[in-house]
Amino acid sequence: MKRNTFYLLAGIVALAEVGIFWLSVELERPILIQVAFVLGVLLLYAARRAVEERIEDERTAMITQKAALRTLEVFWVAFFAISLGSAVVAFSRPLGLRPPHPGPPGTAPPDVLELPFIGGFALFQMALLCLMIFLYVGFRMYYARKYGEWDTDEEQD
Amino acid sequence: MKNRIKVYRAMHDLTQEGLANELGVTRQTILAIEKGKYDPSLELAFKIARFFGVAIEEIFLYGDATERK
Repeated sequence: MKRNTFYLLAGIVALAEVGIFWLSVELERPILIQVAFVLGVLLLYAARRAVEERIEDERTAMITQKAALRTLEVFWVAFFAISLGSAVVAFSRPLGLRPPHPGPPGTAPPDVLELPFIGGFALFQMALLCLMIFLYVGFRMYYARKYGEWDTDEEQD
Repeated sequence: MKNRIKVYRAMHDLTQEGLANELGVTRQTILAIEKGKYDPSLELAFKIARFFGVAIEEIFLYGDATERK
């Protein structure tokens, strides 16, 4: 398989995943997108191994390592700061489930922290994941540029 | 680190792509080494030198050797 064919396949898989995500939401079946996502990753992994042209060597491995390390260094600070803020919110009110009975008529329900809505939590996780991906892509581009990924010379078309 | 890969490539009538294929690396890596943007690992440096059949110091010029050459 040619390198460009692989990139084309990756784009098609990404589009298919978006479509399956939409379908999964419509059918209210989370397992659909979860299975599709894992299968997509496995497919791309297999396709990457089938690429005939060499796309990885010691330089690309070094770029990947540096980008991953910098991402981790920055991300854990952001993650810890956000988690600290969340912990403050969590501990600022009594923890617990709202009682099943609202209490005697005319009395206000006790001020307890609502359990986080699972969809909101999922979106929060997705936002953090996006932050991590953006950081990684940014660092990857920075180091790729530093180590001559997009340099051209007289041999290039 | 400066190097003379381009010279040796020309002597052996090799393109960057050709040399990259011989050494099992990408063409961009050869380009990055030639431009001094990436210092190869010791293993790759020896591979390059052995491929051209010369000592490693003939290809890679480290420190003071850069001025002397």
